[in-house]
Amino acid sequence: MIERTRRIIAAIPALLTRHLLPLLLTTLFLLPLYWMLISSLRMPGQPPAIALEWFPAAPTLSNYTRIFQILPLWHYTLNSIIVSITGVTLTLLTASWAGFGMSLLGKRARLRLLLLSAGLQMIPVTALWLTRFLLLAKIGISNSHLALIAPALMGSSPLFILLFYWTFRRTNPAIFESAELDGAHLFRIWWSIALPMARPALMAVGMLAFMFYWNDFINPLLYLRSQTLYTLPVGLLHLQEMDKTNWPLLMAASVVMTIPPVLVFSALQRTLLWWELE
Amino acid sequence: MISARRAQIFALLAPYLMGAFLLVALPAGISLYVSFTRYDGVSTPVWVGLQNFQLLRIEPLFWVALINSLIYISQAVLLRTLAALGLALLYNQPRRATGLYRAIAYLPTVIPDTAYALVWLWILNPLYGPLNLALRAFNLPAPAWLTDTRWAIPAIVLMSLFQVGEGLVILLAGLRHIPRDLKDSARVDGANALQTFSAITLPLLSPWLILLTVRDVVLSFQNTFTPAYIMTRGGPYYATYFAPLLIYETAFDRLRFGQGAAIMLIVFAVTIFLVLALYFFFESWGFDDD
Repeated sequence: MIERTRRIIAAIPALLTRHLLPLLLTTLFLLPLYWMLISSLRMPGQPPAIALEWFPAAPTLSNYTRIFQILPLWHYTLNSIIVSITGVTLTLLTASWAGFGMSLLGKRARLRLLLLSAGLQMIPVTALWLTRFLLLAKIGISNSHLALIAPALMGSSPLFILLFYWTFRRTNPAIFESAELDGAHLFRIWWSIALPMARPALMAVGMLAFMFYWNDFINPLLYLRSQTLYTLPVGLLHLQEMDKTNWPLLMAASVVMTIPPVLVFSALQRTLLWWELE
Repeated sequence: MISARRAQIFALLAPYLMGAFLLVALPAGISLYVSFTRYDGVSTPVWVGLQNFQLLRIEPLFWVALINSLIYISQAVLLRTLAALGLALLYNQPRRATGLYRAIAYLPTVIPDTAYALVWLWILNPLYGPLNLALRAFNLPAPAWLTDTRWAIPAIVLMSLFQVGEGLVILLAGLRHIPRDLKDSARVDGANALQTFSAITLPLLSPWLILLTVRDVVLSFQNTFTPAYIMTRGGPYYATYFAPLLIYETAFDRLRFGQGAAIMLIVFAVTIFLVLALYFFFESWGFDDD
């Protein structure tokens, strides 16, 4: 009897960390999305709940049809898709080129570029955005989608380049060398040998870059003046400015905007969450 | 032949280097110049020497913004790192449900900043928000969060604690780096879980912790913009008036690009200082960093 009690007590910490705590945390992490979703289903004009409500009394989808009527939401969505897809494609190109190029360099040059990338990672965007704005305005692309995609020129984030660099460093250099001895151009080797081996990096960077462009709020806020160019985040801001207190409507628009990244994440999360750096 | 190869490598690197020059180095250089001028964005900049910096010294709003940013960073970076570390340790073991747990822990990080700010504006609503309704249901004190000067920054820290997905990924990768037999042999030698953690796991994880905290300091500086812009506009009584919002309003509302650039330079200097301080803090802790 005592032996059994002792065994049960000894099992409590394991029970806590293995099951109870993860379940509790999982519920906690789901709450923001859950509240976004159920608030979007409330009847507009219904008085706010005075006790915690886990599901609205008379759920309705009317908020979703309404946001598409009062805002050119389809148009904003299309803009967001255009910006994100071009941004992601260009990022995958430039980041994998740079990562591949870096992995081929000699030790000293490689170290210098690593330091440069680490240094770039350390500069907050807020320390650059004014003058970047002035610069892009001078070039004449400030009020256009090009201004939003501009970061793709440098692989969007030094982190993405490093992810590719690590991938290519890990692979046996003899594979690239033998192709080079056969006289293949480096861009050819990149396309036919390096990229097919870098599938996990392509998926992880593709996913992160998609979030980067789809979620971007600061750049469209700074650069875009014409409403026809607006992406979803600035569109959402407009909805908020129209009526700050219409929560069902605001939450419905938030849900619409959150669905694509959640889908992309669900499809590609495994590579990122089980990432090996070795 | 050799030089042809070098040219090809250079071509591979060209977009990155060009982008780094055009989007980082050049703007940084222009910032440096503009910060010594009076410039409205249209007419020619007028050289004014150190005037922008001297004016900032006596500008109360500048100090408020800087101190708010520093308070936010000190709280958010510490708590976010601890949260990511706790999650990584908890979700490190490969069990059946771990994949799902990890994915759901990352999920809030995926929500676009604007939508995230809006849903938290609703969650934190002092009267009808689900958080305070829940707190009241348990008879706990329900602060007015974003409308109370004492609770506004903690509220924004709280919402940032749900977006620790990247930190989780970095630390999970770091944990996988630690050889299993090291921990096993420690256990054989009679070390308990806490001793193994402080003697083996933590020191071996320190490079990743440095990476994470440094990255978080940089990100925390800029990540206050969207919540401040959408949720509070810097209020109540400038309680959430952070440096990025000040830069934005100085330049784009008041058209004082020179002063905005001066603030940017100071923010940059403060970031570098914090990063170096963090580095030496970890260094003095006796951890290897290679």
